[in-house]
Amino acid sequence: MTTIKFTFNGKAIELTTDPSRRFLDVLRNDLRHTGPKEGCGEGECGACAVLINGHIVNSCILPLANVHQQEVMTIEAFSKTKRYAIIEEAFIHEGSVQCGICIPGMIIATESLLNKNPDPTESEIRIGLSGNLCRCTGYNMIVKAVQRAKERGRGLW
Amino acid sequence: MVEHVIPKNLEEALKYLNAKPYKVIAGGTDLMVQHRAWSALSPNFKTPLLFCFNLNALKYIKVQNDEIAIGSMTDLETLLDHPLTPEILRKVISVMASPAIRKVSTLSGNIINASPAADSLLALYALDAKVVCRSLHTEREVLVSEMVLGPRKTQLKAHEIITEIRIPKTSFTHTTFVKVGGRLADAISKVAFVGCAQIVNNQVKDLRIVLNAVSATLIRQKAIESQWLNKAPNVLQSQMDTILEAYEAYIQPIDDQRSNKYYRKQTALNLIKQFINTL
Amino acid sequence: MSTINRSVPKVDAKDKISGKMLYVSDLHIDGMYYAKTVRSTISKGFIKSITLPELPEEVTVVDYRDIPGKNNVKMIFEDWPVFAEKAISHYGEPIMLVVGPNKAIVQDVVNEIDIQYTLAEPVFDMVNSVVDYHFTKGNPESAFKNAKRTIKYTYETGYQEQAYIEPQGFIGTIEGNKVHLTGSIQAPYYVKNAVVETLACDPSDVRIVQANVGGAFGGKEEFPSLIGCQLAVALKKVKKPIKLIYEREEDMEVTTKRHPAKITMEAAIDENHHISAIKAHVGIDGGAFTGLSSVVLSRAMIAATSAYTIAHLQVDGDVYLTNTVPNGAFRGFGAPQMIFAVEMFMNHIAKDLSKDLHAYRLNHLAKQHDLTTTSGTFRDPILMPQMIEKACEMSDYHHKKTLYERPGSYKGIGMSWFLHGCGFTGSGEAEHIKAKVKLRKDEQDNVHLMIAAVDMGQGAKTTLMKVAAEVLKRPLETIHFDNPDTDQVPDSGPTVASRTAMVVGGLVARAAKQIKDNWVDGKVQTVHESYKQPEYMSWDQATFTGDAYPAYSWGVNVVEVEVDKASYEVTVKNIWSVYDVGKSLDDNIVLGQADGGTAQGVAYGYLEVMRHKDGKIVNKNMTDYVIPTAVDMAKTETVLFDNPFALGPYGAKGAGELTLVGGAPAVATAIEMAINKRIYKIPATPEYLMELIHSDNN
Repeated sequence: MTTIKFTFNGKAIELTTDPSRRFLDVLRNDLRHTGPKEGCGEGECGACAVLINGHIVNSCILPLANVHQQEVMTIEAFSKTKRYAIIEEAFIHEGSVQCGICIPGMIIATESLLNKNPDPTESEIRIGLSGNLCRCTGYNMIVKAVQRAKERGRGLW
Repeated sequence: MVEHVIPKNLEEALKYLNAKPYKVIAGGTDLMVQHRAWSALSPNFKTPLLFCFNLNALKYIKVQNDEIAIGSMTDLETLLDHPLTPEILRKVISVMASPAIRKVSTLSGNIINASPAADSLLALYALDAKVVCRSLHTEREVLVSEMVLGPRKTQLKAHEIITEIRIPKTSFTHTTFVKVGGRLADAISKVAFVGCAQIVNNQVKDLRIVLNAVSATLIRQKAIESQWLNKAPNVLQSQMDTILEAYEAYIQPIDDQRSNKYYRKQTALNLIKQFINTL
Repeated sequence: MSTINRSVPKVDAKDKISGKMLYVSDLHIDGMYYAKTVRSTISKGFIKSITLPELPEEVTVVDYRDIPGKNNVKMIFEDWPVFAEKAISHYGEPIMLVVGPNKAIVQDVVNEIDIQYTLAEPVFDMVNSVVDYHFTKGNPESAFKNAKRTIKYTYETGYQEQAYIEPQGFIGTIEGNKVHLTGSIQAPYYVKNAVVETLACDPSDVRIVQANVGGAFGGKEEFPSLIGCQLAVALKKVKKPIKLIYEREEDMEVTTKRHPAKITMEAAIDENHHISAIKAHVGIDGGAFTGLSSVVLSRAMIAATSAYTIAHLQVDGDVYLTNTVPNGAFRGFGAPQMIFAVEMFMNHIAKDLSKDLHAYRLNHLAKQHDLTTTSGTFRDPILMPQMIEKACEMSDYHHKKTLYERPGSYKGIGMSWFLHGCGFTGSGEAEHIKAKVKLRKDEQDNVHLMIAAVDMGQGAKTTLMKVAAEVLKRPLETIHFDNPDTDQVPDSGPTVASRTAMVVGGLVARAAKQIKDNWVDGKVQTVHESYKQPEYMSWDQATFTGDAYPAYSWGVNVVEVEVDKASYEVTVKNIWSVYDVGKSLDDNIVLGQADGGTAQGVAYGYLEVMRHKDGKIVNKNMTDYVIPTAVDMAKTETVLFDNPFALGPYGAKGAGELTLVGGAPAVATAIEMAINKRIYKIPATPEYLMELIHSDNN
């Protein structure tokens, strides 16, 4: 058992538990945040994505120990931001959402990408989303949504 | 229950390692998958882990004695964006896994995982990169290509941790990286290739060829490379069959869920040929 | 003309984007138990002995002996056990559930269970036929007798995994005798009927609720019935809430996939170089149990000439059982295999006859009033000539073809033409499904759609609510559509077979019309509608004669590729599509189906590889079973042609499957052009292309 301290969605928290546990399990079971989903359990699909220090990370293969003293943000908190509002509008407008299971991860990927590169080309967008698998949409409507978000959200990133 | 530890700093990490053979874990992208259990249960690690990913003392890229020195816990996404990262290494990293995985992957983790299909090792072999292995009382420098002994086998000793990767400064007129995977992004290589060459006054002054996923460890044959130095590129091109035959002896791929031996071998040879024809 | 096709924000988009939407694995019940499935580790044989460890308190083992009713998952044939008894038919076959409140303890028990087997010789080849169907059209024998020449080829297709991002799962509770299951499912009443048979209980003692579904694509049509039955048996024994969620590898190893197929086509060519007759044999690998394979086979056979009319036909088909994972429903349901074979065959015949591909195919294209493969009639207008022209124009097909046909270009452009029968095959709707819908207006004048249709991402909620709103001339916000609950809604059939918009939507429109016609403000009003077969339809299941479908949707795909000269890796550069889905009920939704379906269909043709070795799936996770990423997916351009179908709501026909079925031949014909070799099987992997390039075939 180890005490892990980190900033979770803006609040400092402490958990005393096995530090080798998957962060996804801690999020979903201990913290009851089910926005991050388990799709593959091996870092391949991105449905479990969260932001660590503003960058996308797959929580399903992230040991809890590695968030010690880091800043974690999940879709639950990100969805209360201005940037989110822009991304949400774009995803709705472009019809980018089908079954939805990959979408919280896609939103995290979008934020991470725009955070690093506020004006990505189409190819950069595709690379930015390449760790997030979607089986419903064929991605193009999601790519269009990211393009729309970057245009309408200029200055926010 | 196994007692895992998060050391506060490198000194503490070295002390822990000296006391017990902890398994050093960096980003965990390989280990967490290899040891995964039923969802919600702790991964099934039998040896205690030493969580070193957040050791800030091991996160840096700098120039040091004519070499690029990379702290062993520096993530690949940071390397991708860093101006000091050698070009061929950047090319390789740019198509490794995904942004999310790159953010928590490290070169040292790739080296210790010692996968025959590791892409970053292509560049590290080509660049004659070395690793610094430290224990509480010792420090040694080993070539990456010597560090790796076989799939998931290295010569890292029980009380050691990799602290740094050192890459000699080089200059090439030609650098090529080709990855052949199941798809264009986020794939494990069926076979991948790095070729580097320095051509001065129409003479090959430096030639480096590395292949992965076609034998138990990556293939780099300095003996073959040196035979073709100080020759004009068109000499190499005209003796293509000799070069390919020389490599063929070392290319011993397997059939697996991702590809087959025949394809891997032919493609590996095609990639060597394609590179030499561009010199 | 109606403007219903104008896109609206999807009704469930906000909850999905914000992560608030709960899927089955997100559901939590205090005090719930967890179930883990113990599976066979052999492909064929018998259980010799099972040794259980001493069971900790609160851990229960559930197996076939706990089944109160039939040890059979109710589908069409009775051959799929809920739990294996003695005989083992495939690797990963479920033998028992271990259930307990603590996952770690359950896992320990699972690890300590020792099962000994007597091994038998497994069968992996397609030799053991359990279903064989035949039908003819015209007089194929005489056409073959009079043929100037015959041309014959065999085509093969591999597995395809649905690869929904949300693995299968259920959560269940029990109160008294009543079992309540909530799961990721496409067909609530399939699960209900199966559970009722397994528990041998009163139907009112089984309640099935659809959880929000994280992708299905057919994979959650029949397979969830198996899990549902197992969980129901466990609930009866354990009497605690239980959650059963598959892990990814478990899901990929043991759930149903698209049937591998081997299709032999033989054509009789007459003196005008025209195809006078075709003999086709369609063999599909059903895996260990028949499941829905017979219906998959029917759809494949009926698509034997796809978008073409051939006067004389003999079509034979077999479902073969093998000691491998059972195969089942997957978007397209037999059609993708067949349409691949038909399109390649048309191209190969044209090449053998040195005919212009395009003109040769045009000469055989089906026209309105032609007879279908089953001697029914194409009653509605067929817009294919215009659609093909549009696709050629969008893609600059003819120009690119000339450029890319030059040897050594390593570029190719390919095209497929295809149809998809909308709704269940033959008399399925009228005799088996008998869909019912109920609409209820409450005192606030909100109208509730009480239907069993499942929104699994395809937008059923939004489109069906739009249909009701449009008929009622009421705002969309006043229409409600909750996830189906079998205690609340009648059986409007499974959400499969591209039937939801056309059939269920049609019933919703009629029911809405009833409400509108009898509207009284502030009064609770309930109306019912049930499916009536169009009067013109007649179908003889014994001879496969008549109208197999009430309507057909049509499509054209054009795919442009580049093949790497060193590695033979295929890069898909562009995809153009033209579809006739009758009338789009929401353009964004139909275009979303188009993009997603085409992505799956094209990837089926060149990218997605799944194999088994000695009966074990080797590509059993998302790393080793490769589906396209955003980088792999090409840009798409899609045009919809309006061609309203009289009996569909606002003219809508099926859209979901159509967009998948033509992808594989479009990409395969493009690759053929790029490498100047003929392709006989998919996926056309670089490994296969290398074989072709190093071979003499051209």
